[in-house]
Amino acid sequence: MRVINVQNLTRDYGSGKGIFDVSIQVEKGEVFGFLGPNGAGKTTTIRHLMGFIKPKAGNCQIDGLDCWKDRGEIQKGLGYIPGEISFFDDMTGKEFLKFVADYRNLGKENRMQEMLERFESNPKGKIKKMSKGMKQKLGIVSAFMHNPDILILDEPTSGLDPLMQNRFVELIAEEKKKGKTILLSSHMFEEVERTCDRIGIIRNGKLVTVDAVETLRERHMHTYTVHLDSPQLAEDFARDFQGVCDGNRVTVAAKQSLETIFMNYYGGEEND
Amino acid sequence: MINITLYKREMKSSLKMLLLFAAIITMYVTIIIRMYDPEMMATLDSFYEVMPEVMASVGMSAGATNLIGFMISYLYGFILLIFPMIFCIMRGNGLIARYVDRGSMVTLLASPIKRGTIAATQLSVLISGILLLVVYATGLEYTIAEISFPGELAIAELLKLNAALLCLHLFIGGICFLASCIFSDTRYSIAFGAGVPALMYILQMLANAGEEADVIKYFTFFTLFDAKGIVAGEGGAALGMLVLLFGAITFYGIGILAFCKKDLHI
Repeated sequence: MRVINVQNLTRDYGSGKGIFDVSIQVEKGEVFGFLGPNGAGKTTTIRHLMGFIKPKAGNCQIDGLDCWKDRGEIQKGLGYIPGEISFFDDMTGKEFLKFVADYRNLGKENRMQEMLERFESNPKGKIKKMSKGMKQKLGIVSAFMHNPDILILDEPTSGLDPLMQNRFVELIAEEKKKGKTILLSSHMFEEVERTCDRIGIIRNGKLVTVDAVETLRERHMHTYTVHLDSPQLAEDFARDFQGVCDGNRVTVAAKQSLETIFMNYYGGEEND
Repeated sequence: MINITLYKREMKSSLKMLLLFAAIITMYVTIIIRMYDPEMMATLDSFYEVMPEVMASVGMSAGATNLIGFMISYLYGFILLIFPMIFCIMRGNGLIARYVDRGSMVTLLASPIKRGTIAATQLSVLISGILLLVVYATGLEYTIAEISFPGELAIAELLKLNAALLCLHLFIGGICFLASCIFSDTRYSIAFGAGVPALMYILQMLANAGEEADVIKYFTFFTLFDAKGIVAGEGGAALGMLVLLFGAITFYGIGILAFCKKDLHI
């Protein structure tokens, strides 16, 4: 079943800015990675999905409902982490989460406590004084609190330390197992690679490619097998270069940077 | 139709400002009503003779012979117009435009609460604030008048007068709310929401000041608030009050509609 359906979505902001003829389909239970550099149009696409802006051309639907007209209905089962977190500065983190729970009319049965513990967060202080990471954790808690079936996450791990990024990756994997549909935007290839089934790459407002992670990985990762003098050396080498050790041999993968991957789609050289 | 959780939060934010303006109003109303002294009227009238333009521009005119006339001259030309107006401007901007400008509107929209409900809630916060200020001023005026000059102030006249005052402020609130809904940038929201009422008030001052400038009164909505006419029970004054009320309702409707329809780049 198609949960998120974006068809030929276009929004021209002039001078080449905007999104042009973007089409994305995300199936139920799928994790879709939306990858692109800053200013590529990820957030603009997501704003359409959230019903913040009305499509100028094309359309987008979630669960068969129109994202602009039926935004209230769609939001019942949707969790959202905005790309730029801006909460109510005058509140403490706790007050804010309580506000969101009451505002959404959630009962006592919600995932607030579970999420706070998962991210080791105790947001007692004023939001105004919080670090980026703390605010991001609040954003994650408020997006998952009501246990939504669909998640739209705009650069959800920005500001999180590597440990918390791992926790987040685990969370996504768990939610996926429960059959949730997730659209996750990022500018980091590693992040989407670890969490997503399929990846769409957007650049300058145009969707360049949509592929399964495996396909992209095969196309853009080179692996080398290195023979070393002793198993001890091989083990050290594997640790230092994140390779897979097998006796004297170590297999290492060279990941291309995102830019290189983009260059493959833009720079002329097709497929290596 | 409104969201109680949001309403509570916003009323809490209004509280400080309401208390501040209530304190200012308390101070002025108390001082001015206690100044009322039929013999003193002669002195004030002599001020008016010396500098009629200055006195008239802030709505103070000569010949107020009874207590309500005195109050109209000295409270309803400046104090009770300006302070609730500042409340409307500050709150009006804060209720919608500031949330959009700062991006925290995302929190309110990323939920099953409809935009119409959000706007109606914020509007009801503004109206509640205006209502509280006017009701407080009415109670205060009556109490002070009864303590100082028992039996001098006719309650029916005071109620009519403050009903008209309420309509005026609902109208001003409507302008501020509309500006807040239309503009996503606080700068423009404030420029329009504060600029229009302030300009209108200045025109009103000019219109009051001189005979030849009298024609200006047709260009400001403050003319629709005719305090003396309301107390005297004139039909024209009552009509002006109704125009203000319907204008206010129209602004509210357009504001909510504009907010529901507009693109939010947040």
